[in-house]
Amino acid sequence: MGEQQYAIEMQGICKNFGSVAANKNINLNVKPGEILALLGENGSGKTTLMNMLSGIYKPDSGSILVDGREVAINSPEDAKRLGIGMVHQHFKLVDVFSAADNIWLGDDKSGPVLKKDRYGVIGEMAKRFGFEIDPRKKVYNMAVSEKQTLEIIKVLYYGAKIIILDEPTAVLTVQETAKLFDVLRRMKEEGHAIIIITHKLNEVLEISDRVAILRKGEYVCTVDTPSTDEQKLTEYMVGRKVELNIDRPLVEKTRPLLEIRELTIRNDEGAVAIDKVNFYIRGGEILGVAGIAGCGQKELCEAIAGLRPIESGMMIHKGDNIVGLSPRAILDKGISMSFIPEDRLGMGLAPSMSITDNMLLKKYGQSSGPFVDRKTGRAEAEQVIQDLEIVTPSTETPVRRLSGGNVQKVLLGREIKAGPNVIVTAYPVRGLDINSSYAIYDILNRQKKDGVGILFVGEDLDVMIDLCDKIMVLCHGKVMGVVHAHKTTKEELGLMMTGALDLSSKYEDKPAGIAKDSRIENNEEVEE
Amino acid sequence: MNDPINVLTLFLFNIVLVNIPLLYGTVGEIVVEKAGSLDLGVEGTMAVGAIFGYLAGCMTNSLAVGLLVSFLGAGLCGLIFSVLTVSLQANQNVTGLTITTFGLGLYFFVGKGMGERWPAMTGASALVDGFAALEFPLLSKIPILGKVVFSQNVLVYLGIAIAVLVWWYLNFTKTGLRLRAVGENPGAADSVGVNILLYKYVHIIAGSGIMGLGGFYMALNMSGSFEGSNCWINGYGWIAIALVIFANWNPVLAVLGTLVFGFFNTLQIYSGALAGAFPGALGWLNAIPAQLYKALPFLITAIVLIASSVRKREGSGQPAALGLNYFREER
Amino acid sequence: MKSPLFHVVKREQASPAQQLMAYVAAVILALAVGAVLLSVQGVEPVTFYRQLITMGIPGSRYPWRAVENFIRLFVPLLIVSLALSLAFKMRFWNIGGEGQFIMGAFWAAVAAMKLGESLPKPLMVVVMALCGAVGGGLYGVFVAALKVKWGTNETLLTLMLNYVALYFLQFFAETKGEWNFFLDRSSARPRFAKFPESAQMVTIPIGPFNLNLSLVAALVLCVILFVYLNYTKRGYEIAVVGDSPNTARYAGMKVGKIVIRTIFLSAALIGMAGALHVSSAGVMSASPTNDVGWTGVVVAWLAKLNTVGIVLASLLITVLQYGCQTASTIYPSIDANFANLLQGVILFTVLAVDFFTRFKLVRRGGKEAVK
Repeated sequence: MGEQQYAIEMQGICKNFGSVAANKNINLNVKPGEILALLGENGSGKTTLMNMLSGIYKPDSGSILVDGREVAINSPEDAKRLGIGMVHQHFKLVDVFSAADNIWLGDDKSGPVLKKDRYGVIGEMAKRFGFEIDPRKKVYNMAVSEKQTLEIIKVLYYGAKIIILDEPTAVLTVQETAKLFDVLRRMKEEGHAIIIITHKLNEVLEISDRVAILRKGEYVCTVDTPSTDEQKLTEYMVGRKVELNIDRPLVEKTRPLLEIRELTIRNDEGAVAIDKVNFYIRGGEILGVAGIAGCGQKELCEAIAGLRPIESGMMIHKGDNIVGLSPRAILDKGISMSFIPEDRLGMGLAPSMSITDNMLLKKYGQSSGPFVDRKTGRAEAEQVIQDLEIVTPSTETPVRRLSGGNVQKVLLGREIKAGPNVIVTAYPVRGLDINSSYAIYDILNRQKKDGVGILFVGEDLDVMIDLCDKIMVLCHGKVMGVVHAHKTTKEELGLMMTGALDLSSKYEDKPAGIAKDSRIENNEEVEE
Repeated sequence: MNDPINVLTLFLFNIVLVNIPLLYGTVGEIVVEKAGSLDLGVEGTMAVGAIFGYLAGCMTNSLAVGLLVSFLGAGLCGLIFSVLTVSLQANQNVTGLTITTFGLGLYFFVGKGMGERWPAMTGASALVDGFAALEFPLLSKIPILGKVVFSQNVLVYLGIAIAVLVWWYLNFTKTGLRLRAVGENPGAADSVGVNILLYKYVHIIAGSGIMGLGGFYMALNMSGSFEGSNCWINGYGWIAIALVIFANWNPVLAVLGTLVFGFFNTLQIYSGALAGAFPGALGWLNAIPAQLYKALPFLITAIVLIASSVRKREGSGQPAALGLNYFREER
Repeated sequence: MKSPLFHVVKREQASPAQQLMAYVAAVILALAVGAVLLSVQGVEPVTFYRQLITMGIPGSRYPWRAVENFIRLFVPLLIVSLALSLAFKMRFWNIGGEGQFIMGAFWAAVAAMKLGESLPKPLMVVVMALCGAVGGGLYGVFVAALKVKWGTNETLLTLMLNYVALYFLQFFAETKGEWNFFLDRSSARPRFAKFPESAQMVTIPIGPFNLNLSLVAALVLCVILFVYLNYTKRGYEIAVVGDSPNTARYAGMKVGKIVIRTIFLSAALIGMAGALHVSSAGVMSASPTNDVGWTGVVVAWLAKLNTVGIVLASLLITVLQYGCQTASTIYPSIDANFANLLQGVILFTVLAVDFFTRFKLVRRGGKEAVK
C-alpha cells in the first residue's frame, strides 16, 4: 500500500450533535484511481462523515489529510479549493438556470463577463468526460438523471480530484445506473479518487475497489472488494445479533384488522414509492417494517392515515374500505398514525403548544360547545405523564422544550389514550437513549396485549427481531417478503433490505401478504 | 399654448420627466429582490436619500455630491435592512415597513428641523443647471421626438443608463449570475462557494442607494420646496414595488413599465388638456375619472400577480427564494 | 483558511422576563436616540418628552377633549392590530389593513347615507359596523381564497389592493354628481356630507367627558378575541395551523378552510374598525386610515401577536403619536412625524434583540457559549 499516497485520509474523526455521537473515531482513506464504497445502515453516520469533507460540518476532533497534508475545511469553498467535490443526494441546482450557468456559477477561472462561448466550453468539457448534455437546457426541464449528470459535470469542472457521491443510484433506473458506473470507471481511470455512498450490495460489489463499513457511527473495517461477498458485507453492516431482552409476549391473534392489497402510491416527485404491496395486520401482533430509509415507509404511513392519495389498490379496515376517507374519518375508525420524522416535531405534534393542547389535537372537536375542553386534556396529560413517566415541569410546558424521549412519549401516549385498534408508528425510538426506548417498547407491548394491531416502522434490526411478531421488508417500494421474527436472522433481513434476497414468493400455496381468513370476501375484486 | 401638437409634446415629455424616479426606485428594488430580499421600505429609503442628497447638494452646490449623498443615505437604510434581515434573521415584511415609517419620520424631522435654514434650490446653481434640459444638437430639433427624447435632463439619461447597466450586470456578468442564484436557491449558491452574506449585503445596500438617487431626482423635480404635509416621494416607492412585478424583475422592461405607469400618471393631469386639444379624437378622456389612472398601476399589478400565480409559468422573473431568510444550518 | 469566530444556533425561547427587559431597553434606546436628535435641533429633550407623555392634557383648557381625541386614535389602531395578529398567527401576511379599513369605512358610509334617516341611532351604528365588517372582510377574504387555491403571494397582493381601495374611495370623494350621495350638495367643491345624526357614534357623557362607545366596543373585542384565541376550538385550530400546517392536516383539520375563515375574520374586524372610526368622526374622509394598516403591523409584531401585549403596544404607539402631535404644536421645529422616527428605532431594536432570544452564538470549534 505504502508506495502510493492517499488522496484523502481521515483519521480519528469524531462528531457529536448535542449528546448524540454521529461519528466515533472514524478512519477512512482513498487513493487516486480508486473507488471506495461507503456502506452502512441508516443513521450509521455516512452522510455526516462526508459532509465534513465537503465543508458543511467541522469535525469535533480528528484530522483530515489531502494529498498527505493536513487541512482544515471550513466551508464548501475550502472544499472546492482542495479539489473535493460532492454530489449531494438532494441536488443543489438553480432550477431557472441553464446547465452551463449552474456550472459557471462557481467558476473562478473565467473573466467577469458572461460570454456565449460558455455553452461551448461546458459542452466540450462534458463531451471530453463522455457526457451528453445540452448546456442550454434549463434545469427545470431536466429529468432526474440529467440533473445528476449535471452535478457530476459540475464537480469535475471545478477540477475535483476527489469525488463524493451520496446515494447516486437511489433515483436512477437500472440502465441509468449502468451508465453512471461507466462514467465512474472512466473517472477512476483518469486518476480520480471516488467515494460512493450506497446501500445496494450488488452495486458495491460491482463498482468498488474497496469497501469501508460504518455501523452506528462507528468504523467497522475496510475490506478489498474482490475478497468479500454479500453475505460478509451484510454481516459487517448489521453486526452480530445483540441480545436486547425485549419482551415479546404471546397474544392470541384476532382476524386481520387492516388489510392492504395491491397498494401503489406515488411520492411527491411523482415516482412510485410503494409498488403493489400486500400485507395485513392482526389484532395482538406487531408487524415490523424494515427497509433502507426512503423506500416508501413515509408514503405508506401517510396513505394509511389518509394524508396521501393512493394510485391504486385497497385498504380495508375490519372489512370496510378506507380508501378516499378523510384523515378525520380514518381517525374515527380507530386507526392511529404517529410518524417521527427526522426533525422529530414535523408531523403529529404542534411544537409551540403545551402538552395539554397536544393531547387534544385529534379530539378537540368532540366536546360539546364552542370551547376547547382543556380540563379533560389536562387530566389526560397528567395521566400520560404519570403512566409513561414523562419528565416535564408541568402539563402546560410547550412540547418543544421537552427532551426527545419525552416528546415521543407524549405522542405515543396521546395515540394510545385515544384507544385505537390499529397503531401505525414510525421510528418511535428515533434518537432516544436506551431507557426511553425500553419504555416505548413496553407501551407497545401493553397495547398488543390489549388486542391492538401494530405496524412498527423501525430502523434497528436487533430491536425489530426481538419486538415484532413478523417483519415485512421493503426495498424500493416492493415487498421482499414477510418473515417470522423469531425465525429470521439479521443477515437475512439485511440481504432482503438491499434487494439481494427476495422471499416474496417463498410459499407458492399462499400468496404473500394475503391472510387466509381475510375479511375481503371476493378476492377476485382485487385483480380489477 | 393650446396648439394640439404642443399639448401632445408636453404630455409625452412629462411622462418621461416626472416618472423617471419610478425607474430608479424599481431598478433599485429589482437589485434587492434579485438577492432574495423583499424590501417594502422603498418609500422611506427614497425619502431619506432625497432629503440628505438635496441638502448636501445645496450646501456644496454640487450635483455630484447630491447624487453621492443620496446614494449613501439611502444605502444606510439598506444597511439597516441587511443587518436586521440577513444577519439577525428578522422578518423582511416588518423590517421593510419599519424602514418606511422610520425613513418618513426622519424626512419630516430633518425637513421641519431646518425651518428657516431650509435652502432654496435657486441658491444652488449647480443643481438648477444639472436638472435643466440637455438639448442634443440637431436631434432635439426633431418635432415631438426631439423634445420628448432628446431634451431631457441628465438624470433622466442616467436613470435609463443605470437600468440598462443593471440589466447587463444581472444577465451578462458572473457576479450577476451569482446574485440571481442567491435569490433563487441560496443553498445551491452556497454549495459552490458563493458568499451569501456578502452578496446580500452589497446588493441590498447598492439597490437601496439606487432608490435614493430616485428620491434625489424627485427633490429636484419639486424644486426642492419642502412642505410640512406632503413628502416628495408621494407614494412613488409603493408604485415602484408594483412596477417590479409588472416588469417581471427585468430592468429593461422596467423602463417600458415606467412609461406605461407614467402614461397613466401623467394622463391624470393632462387628460383635460388633451381632450381640449383633440376634442374629436380624445374628447372622451374627460369622462374618465382621474382616480382610475392612479389606481391602474396597482390594479394591473394585482391582476398580473394573480394571473402569474394561476399559470405558474416558468418564465417568471420572481426569485424563488424571495422573502425567505437563509440560515445555513438548515440546509 | 480563516474560520468565523462564531456560528449561529437556534435556541429555545427566552424567558418572558428577558423579553420584557429587551422591550424596555428598546424604548429607552429609542428615547435616547430621539433625545440626541432633539438636542441637535436645539430642543430640550426632557421638557419635550414630558410634553409628549402627558400629551398636553394637564393645563389644557379642554383636557377631556384631548382624551376624546386620544381615544379616537387609539381605538382603530387597537382593533386593526388585534385583527392583523389573527392573520399573522397563521403566517398569512396581510399587509392590506389600509385597504380593508377603507372598504369598511366606505360601506359603513354607504349605510349611513342611505339608511341614516330611517334607522334609529344605536341600531344605525350597529348596521354600519356590520356593513363595514362585511365590506372589509370580503376585500380580504378574496386574497385568502387565491392564496389557498393558487398560492398567490398575499403580501404583494394585499399591498396592491390598499391603493386600489384608496383611489376607489377618492373617486367618490372628488367627483361631484347627482348620483354621488356621499357629498355635501350645498358645497360647490366636492366635500363629504356629515352623516345623519343617527349614524354618529354613540357617546356616553360622564361629566364633561364623552365616552366614545367604540372604546368600549374595542375593549370588549379584546376580551372576546382573547377568549376566542385561547379557549375556543377555532382559536385552537388557528394555533395549530400557525404552528405546524402538517400537524393540522394530520389531525384532520381542513387547513384551507381555516385560513379562509380566519382571514375573513381578520379583514372583517379591520373593516369594522373603519366603520367605527368614520362613525366616531361623524363624517367620511378621503383618507380615513391615519396609517393604521401599516402601524398595526408594527404593533402586532411588537406585541409578538399576544392580545394583552397588543393593548399595551398600541397604547404606547398612540401615546407616541398623539404626544408628538401635541408637542409639535408647541415646538414648531419638531414634526409630528417624530413619532414615526421613534417608532422605527423601537422596532429596529426589538427586531435586533429578538435575534438573541431566538438564536445563540456559539464559538466555532469550542464549547457552546453560555446561555
